[in-house]
Amino acid sequence: MSKVLIRDERPLAMGQVDGSRRREFTEVLIAEWTKFRTVRSNLWTLVAAAVLMPILSVFVGLTGSLQPDDTILGGSLTGATVAQMVAAALGVLVMTSEYGGKMIHTTFTAIPSRGRVLAAKALLISGLLFVTAFVFSLAAFGLGTVLLSSEDYATGELWPALFGIGLCFSASGILGLAIGTFLRNSAGAVTAVLGLLLLPTLFGPLFGDLQRWVTGGTPTAALERLTQTSDATPEVVGTIGAWPSLWLMCAYCLGALLLAAVQLKRRDA
Amino acid sequence: MIEVKDLTKRYGSKTAVDHLTFEVHPGRVTGFLGPNGAGKSTTMRVILGLDAPTGGGTTIKGRPYATLRKPLRQVGSLLDAKGTHGGRSAYNHLLWMSQSNGIARSRVDEVLEMVGLAEVASRRTRGFSLGMGQRLGIASALLGDPEVLLLDEPVNGLDTEGIRWIRDLMKRLAKEGRTVLLSSHLMGEMELTADHLVVIGQGRLIADTSMRTFIEKNSQATTVVRSPEIDKLGAALERAGGQIRRDARGSWEVTGPSAATIGDVATAQGVALHELTPRLSSLEDVYTQMTKSSVEYRGATGANGSSASTENGA
Repeated sequence: MSKVLIRDERPLAMGQVDGSRRREFTEVLIAEWTKFRTVRSNLWTLVAAAVLMPILSVFVGLTGSLQPDDTILGGSLTGATVAQMVAAALGVLVMTSEYGGKMIHTTFTAIPSRGRVLAAKALLISGLLFVTAFVFSLAAFGLGTVLLSSEDYATGELWPALFGIGLCFSASGILGLAIGTFLRNSAGAVTAVLGLLLLPTLFGPLFGDLQRWVTGGTPTAALERLTQTSDATPEVVGTIGAWPSLWLMCAYCLGALLLAAVQLKRRDA
Repeated sequence: MIEVKDLTKRYGSKTAVDHLTFEVHPGRVTGFLGPNGAGKSTTMRVILGLDAPTGGGTTIKGRPYATLRKPLRQVGSLLDAKGTHGGRSAYNHLLWMSQSNGIARSRVDEVLEMVGLAEVASRRTRGFSLGMGQRLGIASALLGDPEVLLLDEPVNGLDTEGIRWIRDLMKRLAKEGRTVLLSSHLMGEMELTADHLVVIGQGRLIADTSMRTFIEKNSQATTVVRSPEIDKLGAALERAGGQIRRDARGSWEVTGPSAATIGDVATAQGVALHELTPRLSSLEDVYTQMTKSSVEYRGATGANGSSASTENGA
């Protein structure tokens, strides 16, 4: 075949296969990162999730609006729950934004392995959210310790809670991604994921004996427990401890992701 | 080479593609013709692994699309929908595509240059005109220097110059030995571009033949006639060997006698003519004739969209 039309420094042999599966996955991951960083709304949403925590930490610090039994960590991370919802919304958008202009067609013709696409998105969003949550909740806590007196309030345990908080954000993003994959529509999926985050903690007692498995497994409950806020009462966050709650939640979110993967493969794009 | 074997695709109770079989060979432009809703886009989506077939299957170079590795280097495609995110620039759109298939970054600039979008490469695609969007789609299709190209309605929204550019590009790519499948519902355009034709209607194969054979076998001279005294004229024309058919707009299509003969007949009968138009695009007529056989299609080809419901109501 002639190469008149295309002059490439590195000719591409037809059907040429180079590299292992791992290398191909890396390529998909890089492509997904490019997709993420080249749309402004993604970056702004991530920034919003990040700065909510320090901003509310300063607000709480300046107004001293804490319960007497609250911790400085809990007070500093007042914004964490809202930031977590933004994180979940970001997870949704990473998938649903592909369905707007049928970009998903381009994605799946470039990468026919749909599981690989979803895995790359999950890895990307969870990694980004973990780092963001880790850094900015640390910053929020730093601001809180400056603004709030440790004589009035207990400091709270920063380590290893901070890792758990990071994981909470990752898991919320993955839950958002899974819901986004199911519903394929931004507005619907954001609403659904916010419902999943909020309703169990609002209506926990209605679940009766199941409450500890329902409420305890929601990302918001795990987060509130980890931030050691006085709001984390058993009625709201269930009766299982912070770390079991976190692992349960991670299991739920990964389960949702697996179901989403099955759905994504079975359905027409 | 693209193979479609006994392909059936149903969406619920609606059959979009019905036991369709054809092959697309390298070295020539194959036109994929059919009215809107005939199943062209569905067939292409199945070939690209986006939709799963209900029955039968499709392969490219003997393999299902989903099993191709680095598919953009082997198959370039343009589908009817835009396939981009409006908030992303043209350059970045092509960049992630190239990264996903291990294609050199320099190739992105090359294809942007090739389709004439280099100047607007950094602009977000939301502001692109239909024509610019099509050019970006062509750029994505060419990105991996693929041996096989599938383009769904590529001339949609392009101006005359753009249409000519696509036509020349497709012919050149085919001449280089590539396999080019080009869908369109525009007969006139196809007549100028394609060497081979695959015609479908209602998801079924109507014709799979070379363009030359298709035209030679099916060409008929017809003339569109309007007259206030069509009955009187019609009888005279039939005596002159004409076949008369009323079309959806209320005028008459006369097959057989030339426009000049029809005019003479009208004068001889003392009948006024309001229109006398020879139809030049024989392919279009043939195509209309061929696809008319299906009831559903006839509804869709009326003067406007409401004719279908009118027919049903009558």
